[in-house]
Amino acid sequence: MIRAALALLGRDLRLAWREGGAIGTALGFYFAVIVLTPLGLGPDLNLLSRIAPGILWVALLLAGLLSADRIFHNDYEDGSLDLLTLGPLPLELVAGIKSLAHWITTGIPLTLLAPVLGLLLNLPIESSGFLVLSLLAGTPAVSFVAAIGAGLTLGLRRSGVLMALMILPLYVPALIFGVATVSASITGPASPWAPLMILCGISLASLVLSPIAAAAALRAALR
Amino acid sequence: MISLANPTRFLELVRIVLPWLTGLTVILFAVGLYLSFFVAPPDYQQGETVKIMFIHVPSAWLAMMAYTVIAIAALGSLIWRHPLADVAGKTAAPIGATFTFLALITGSLWGKPMWGTYWVWDARLTSMLVLFLLYLGLIALWEAIDEPSRAGKAAAILALVGFVNVPIIKFSVDWWNTLHQPASVFRMGGSTIDPSLLAPLFVMAGAFTCLFLLLHFLAMRAEILRRRVGALQQIEAQRAAA
Amino acid sequence: MTRKQRRTVLIGTAMAVLSVAVGLVLFALSDSIVFFYSPSEVMAKEMAPGQRFRLGGLVEDGSVERSQGTTVHFVVTDMSKELPVSYTGVLPDLFREGQGVVAEGALGPDGVFHADNVLAKHDEKYMPPEVAAKLKQQGVWEGASGETGAGAESKVN
Repeated sequence: MIRAALALLGRDLRLAWREGGAIGTALGFYFAVIVLTPLGLGPDLNLLSRIAPGILWVALLLAGLLSADRIFHNDYEDGSLDLLTLGPLPLELVAGIKSLAHWITTGIPLTLLAPVLGLLLNLPIESSGFLVLSLLAGTPAVSFVAAIGAGLTLGLRRSGVLMALMILPLYVPALIFGVATVSASITGPASPWAPLMILCGISLASLVLSPIAAAAALRAALR
Repeated sequence: MISLANPTRFLELVRIVLPWLTGLTVILFAVGLYLSFFVAPPDYQQGETVKIMFIHVPSAWLAMMAYTVIAIAALGSLIWRHPLADVAGKTAAPIGATFTFLALITGSLWGKPMWGTYWVWDARLTSMLVLFLLYLGLIALWEAIDEPSRAGKAAAILALVGFVNVPIIKFSVDWWNTLHQPASVFRMGGSTIDPSLLAPLFVMAGAFTCLFLLLHFLAMRAEILRRRVGALQQIEAQRAAA
Repeated sequence: MTRKQRRTVLIGTAMAVLSVAVGLVLFALSDSIVFFYSPSEVMAKEMAPGQRFRLGGLVEDGSVERSQGTTVHFVVTDMSKELPVSYTGVLPDLFREGQGVVAEGALGPDGVFHADNVLAKHDEKYMPPEVAAKLKQQGVWEGASGETGAGAESKVN
């Protein structure tokens, strides 16, 4: 089972890497949103650095969501998803591995880009560490919860907007604690570690629960 | 046709219950509104403004109850595949969304004179807004999937995932410090509302619950009939083609 | 491994991860989301002047002073520490001595909290004025806020 799981993960990573388009699109979208924000706000560096954690997090959620309908879509189109349901792995594990692949190919690149974009938003350089930590702790939840939406909207037309409406409310806790972590590291007064721990808890819980919901959604869609 | 047996019995039940339920709703609203506006005393701090409570609190309760009904219906359609459960879940969503909206609006109108602001981002208000968004997501999902059985399953999964928010709403005022006051009716050690204010509140809560049941029954009946019409049209079309 | 064993391992791992998640959240939950800080917390955390936060507590009895214009000075207390506040603007209806209040602003270099927004927090007690007067008369219940105002609540947290 472990071998099958690793093989599936390797295949998904290779596919994402060779296609390249999805990763590039998400990064490009993130970059574009962050560039537009200061232009929309006007010249106020203090304001910018105060709202930088929130903007970096919100834009990342959108960028992650934007690329998330890809999690099952290609495999659904070419029929390999049907094969996977018949294979040795439980569908829950398949959904989990595909979410993990999405996190590795989207969550981690976005996380690595974030501190660079933080410079554009005048985010204090000392808090880059907590920005990266909070994103590392929070982006698994982004990918795994997005997989539920991807499963529910599988094969639907106009799935993007529908997915945003369904999934964005579920991102509220991750967003609150993610921004709380970064803000606390800039201005205090609370410790940034407490929200970071909650963020880890949210990610771990979504790691277990989301694949179950996503697999159920896939079964409903494929039947 | 076997799957229609239960809905048929349900329609029969609705036919019997409906006049009684309508009457009860009208009476409870008449009594509740009379008690609220003519009998209930002003609050020692808030004066007459406290009367917004008689609309606000029952709306908020019903908003959460409607989501709970949807979650139970979701279990019913996922585990027992009960044909009525899909219908119950689908039709409760718009009603719940309306109650949530009502709670948000009346809360906002209450907040301005009392707190000094229409809106703050504290845990209670935010989690209630998230509930409203969850309702919108459910409605949108039902609209987006044409095939009823798949739409039912998908909406049931989403409803169960979103159910985590309901205990968060209830306990947000205890877990975090919020601008919203803590629970005053269902709490350890009894209610902190004086009986003269609590009585109209409970009558209004009863009236809102009856209204919810009434609307839900009507919507479920409409949905069952809509599905039957759809099925008959399909049969007719097949016969015409053959 | 047989199919059954595999499933057991999977479910076991899932439960373990889930309990770690719940543990983490419960451990860190209470002091992570605060809508406001009480005066004691402000003192303990040594807030820097100019840093924005929300201050919550009770308006101390007899501390409200109206100077020229709409500027108001009052003291916010949580029954152990107090903090002076100055505010210019319109106060909400429910603002009164002994009641809960949440003020947004920052500490000045003089140690006074300069609020640019004041919100009234009311407690969960509702009763007609006659009942309140009677209770007060009997001495069962003192003050408008009793034991469940903002101050007591932050102690719970």
